[in-house]
Amino acid sequence: MNCHDAHRLFGGCWDDELTQAERDWLERHLAACARCRVEYDELARTLELAGSLPRIEPDAELVERVLARTRRATVAPDRVTLARPMGAWLATAAAGLAITGLLLAPWRPWLQAPHALPHAAAVMAQLTPVRQPELRHPVMAARSGAGHERVAAADTLFDHSEDVEMVLDPVVLRMHNGRASVVRSTTPAVHGEQAVISF
Amino acid sequence: MDRETAVPPVLSLSDEDLMARVARDDERAFAELVRRFQGRVTNLIGRVLNDRGCADDLAQETFVRVFVHRRNYRQGSKFSTWLFTIAANLAKNEIRRRVRRRNWFSLDALQEMFSDGLAQLADPTEGRESLLEREQLQEAIGRCIATIPEKYRVALVLRDIEGLSYEEIAEVLGVPGGTVRSRINRARGMLKRKLQPLLRRSGTP
Repeated sequence: MNCHDAHRLFGGCWDDELTQAERDWLERHLAACARCRVEYDELARTLELAGSLPRIEPDAELVERVLARTRRATVAPDRVTLARPMGAWLATAAAGLAITGLLLAPWRPWLQAPHALPHAAAVMAQLTPVRQPELRHPVMAARSGAGHERVAAADTLFDHSEDVEMVLDPVVLRMHNGRASVVRSTTPAVHGEQAVISF
Repeated sequence: MDRETAVPPVLSLSDEDLMARVARDDERAFAELVRRFQGRVTNLIGRVLNDRGCADDLAQETFVRVFVHRRNYRQGSKFSTWLFTIAANLAKNEIRRRVRRRNWFSLDALQEMFSDGLAQLADPTEGRESLLEREQLQEAIGRCIATIPEKYRVALVLRDIEGLSYEEIAEVLGVPGGTVRSRINRARGMLKRKLQPLLRRSGTP
């Protein structure tokens, strides 16, 4: 065995995991080889210093801060959480279908009687994004220029600050060469559908 | 019902028994676990990152994750191993985040620190003991550890600072025992080489 073998045993020697035969051989080698002896002493000194590093003490209020955070985590969340990721996909798909249904609702007669398409005026909804806070306050709602009074929905525990309301104002569409175009807006008396999308 | 029997003692319970109670939303058991392990978790993260402030934040995050995932804890497994796995992963994520942002202790700074220390050692007007106190050497070691590549560094801290067994480290890191030994040997060699100038100048050993 040589110096290379001795170096391989340094770690085991420090961890006290060598066999008696390995330890005897290493001790004889270190007694005879000054270079390896210096190497091992430096390693031992390094690990002794690393092991005696002062402990980094935790913040005195760590326990309380952790408990405060976990208490908040166990309080009922202010948003609806879905139990499984699959639920999120289903909810997204359901929301998409609902919006599509709303958009296509005025076209239902045409869908049921496709042969009447070229001659029928179709009604379709035009999406106009309106920030939800405007709808909560009657004064703001009046400023919004809507033709009819909008009643703000009762607020809930949920945070609606990021909600966007899509007011679907009905318009009359006419088909020409297979393309739909807006002919005129409907009268103010016609009420549109509303949908609120929460983010 | 007597209050003493309604609120069972937690101090005498093992870590694993406490964790079983935490899984049943026992806050007192959770508080006891945090008290027991806050020092070791903070020290582990602090030594891996060489950053006391960040150690507090990540220690807090570690315990919050323990609570959030309390029902994922596998009954029968050693709690401390599970806890250190979470803490080590958070520390590793922080190292990677810092590397990505290049907001980390630079090699230049390390070399500057070494040259300062060596300059002091070379000053013949002062006694050796006052030049490089053990405290300074420990500070240098903390900084040197922080420059070792992540996968070696975490293994080194778990073994030589936190005193975990090789088997526990293998479980914490999710690697075979042979890999752990190899990483620790390499980490020790790296640390020794980094400290060699200081050790030789300071006359140690």
